[in-house]
Amino acid sequence: MLNYTFDWSVIWRHPYGGWLLEGILITIQLSILAWGIALFLGVIIASLRNLPQKWVKAVAAAYVETFRNIPLLVQLFFWYFAAPELLPYSARQWLYQNIEPTTLSYYTAIISLSLFTSSRIAEHARSGFSSIPKGQYLAAFSTGLNTLQVYRYVIIPYTIRVFIPPLTTEFVTIFKNSALAMTLGVTETTFMSQRIDSYTFHGLEATIGAMVIYLLISLSVSGLMGFVERFLYIPGLIRKR
Amino acid sequence: MIFDVIFRNIHLLLSGLGVTFQIFILAWIGSFLLGIGLGVLRLSSRKAIYWPVTIYIQTMRSIPLILVIFGFYLLLPIITGKSMPSLVSAVISFIVFEAVYFAEIVRGGIQSVRKNLIDAGYSTGLSYFQVMTFIILPQAIKNMIPSIVTQSVVVFQDTALAYVIGVKEFLRITTLVNVREVRSIELYLFAALVYFCICSFGSLLARRMEKRYGG
Amino acid sequence: MSKNNTIIEIKGLNHWYGNFHVLKEINLETRRSSCVVICGPSGSGKSTLLRCINGLEVFKEGDVIINGKSVSQCFHNHKELYKLRSKFGMVFQHFELYPHMRVLDNITLAPRRVLCLSKNEAEKSAMALLEKVGILEQAYKYPANLSGGQQQRVAIARALAMNPDILLFDEPTSALDPEMIRDVLKVMADLAKEGMTMLVVTHEMGFANAVADEIVFMEEGNIIEHDDAVTFFKCPKSNRAVEFVDRILVHI
Repeated sequence: MLNYTFDWSVIWRHPYGGWLLEGILITIQLSILAWGIALFLGVIIASLRNLPQKWVKAVAAAYVETFRNIPLLVQLFFWYFAAPELLPYSARQWLYQNIEPTTLSYYTAIISLSLFTSSRIAEHARSGFSSIPKGQYLAAFSTGLNTLQVYRYVIIPYTIRVFIPPLTTEFVTIFKNSALAMTLGVTETTFMSQRIDSYTFHGLEATIGAMVIYLLISLSVSGLMGFVERFLYIPGLIRKR
Repeated sequence: MIFDVIFRNIHLLLSGLGVTFQIFILAWIGSFLLGIGLGVLRLSSRKAIYWPVTIYIQTMRSIPLILVIFGFYLLLPIITGKSMPSLVSAVISFIVFEAVYFAEIVRGGIQSVRKNLIDAGYSTGLSYFQVMTFIILPQAIKNMIPSIVTQSVVVFQDTALAYVIGVKEFLRITTLVNVREVRSIELYLFAALVYFCICSFGSLLARRMEKRYGG
Repeated sequence: MSKNNTIIEIKGLNHWYGNFHVLKEINLETRRSSCVVICGPSGSGKSTLLRCINGLEVFKEGDVIINGKSVSQCFHNHKELYKLRSKFGMVFQHFELYPHMRVLDNITLAPRRVLCLSKNEAEKSAMALLEKVGILEQAYKYPANLSGGQQQRVAIARALAMNPDILLFDEPTSALDPEMIRDVLKVMADLAKEGMTMLVVTHEMGFANAVADEIVFMEEGNIIEHDDAVTFFKCPKSNRAVEFVDRILVHI
């Protein structure tokens, strides 16, 4: 064991405590924004996969496969380092002159996270749709409801309930995945913990502190979503976790 | 786009891919074995076993892998008293982190075996060990295989994170080549394509198996 | 005179699933207030026939006339189709209660949305129906908290809530435990006694013997035999029906 004295004060001491707080704020912003976009995109993609047109289905399927099967880190680097090169020279010039590098990396992180997560949400939404027994449609139609009513009162409420638990998991996951944004220099929690390391050489404490922060975020998100699930809880549909 | 930059540096890129596979195989074996152990222990009725294992699993599931990698990278030199190759540090991080996900798959697999089936085994006079070997495990493994393959794809994708502590794996080599050649479009597209081919092969395999074993 | 009394008239009905010919040239007339049991081996097209009658299945050839109204005419007019279906009640093998709604809401959904009844009105008649099928105390529970027999009785109440002219039963007891079958059959027998027109696909030959006015025996998409219940059980005409009845009676 090397001679190492722990100094836990690097977690709260000025200015490091402030850095971590700022990091937490950015982690939360980044995750919620990306999750919102991903939810929107994911549901659209899943609906496209339910359309009868073959080519629409194929495009939507290709979208899901592409963003699921490439590591998030590679996607981040692609959008940050390679994608701007595809722009015409003048557009690139404008981009680099008018937008701060930190803003650029922040938005790149949001785009990458949203695209990556949307493909996973699309898969969950699709299996939510296909989990509805055919008999539910028959039963609803047999009472004389029209197509709109069948979807509004029976199919969509059912789907939402099946869809919520995997959505919760994705929401927790996006907070963890947002840590990768540090590789682009986005000053979120993980980035700040490593910055503390380079200033104080007490990175272990800062890293453990960051772990505790993520743990607390996860617990609160699960708690919040647990509350939503209880609100929507129906015996026999959502399994209690 | 001129892809000759790929061919010019192919030996470098391939060596990076080799390191990626090396990490993947070591991490996979280690985390799978540890995962089976944790999964079985989590089914224990003894509180002294159940709670520590559960807390460990839930904690790992709540924190980003990248922090675990940084954590071990900083911790290992302190424990051992000498500097550690970053590759070793990365592999240890992967094992400790990914095992938790395998553990949940193993637990789910064992729990998916119907209770009546187990009772049927006992009712014909088999011992606990025999019931485990001949009835529970074959069924459980059959149920688990698609999830294991899916998780293996995740492990493979995660190996790219070794980048952050400077392991010279595929992604790190790609960025190094880019620093010299400044051909980011070709290089990152190539990296994405390589990961895509390997991972979608794995995803396809998992889907096939799911169909064959009826999910 | 008999024409006035006819409620369902099936004329030359043919249907295919892809290349598979499920229903072959079906002709059948049903009188008002009669209880018709449709039986036969699985895959003989019984359930498909029921779904063609209330237009859930868009059949390819022939026609079904309900109260003098053509079902195939409705296929081009969705409003008419929805109206037609609201005249039927249907009960399924696996209940198909909406799992996200309480029992009461399951029953009142269609009366409120299709007949535009007020919440109060709909709930009042729903409670009366629940009492009728003997599960009034379950009104505020979710389907998953009910036994299979109770769920099926809710499904019957849901079907009755629309004041249907005709009830269709698609193997209503096949997914139930034996002790629950009796409760459901009892409710069905009472309905038949009250003069409800019923088409019942079932393997319950005891029920058929005691309650049905007519028996239809189907095999491979054909109606092999169509008799009044007494004749069918005493001296069935076709060999296949004899075999089928023997096997099922022995099984009981």
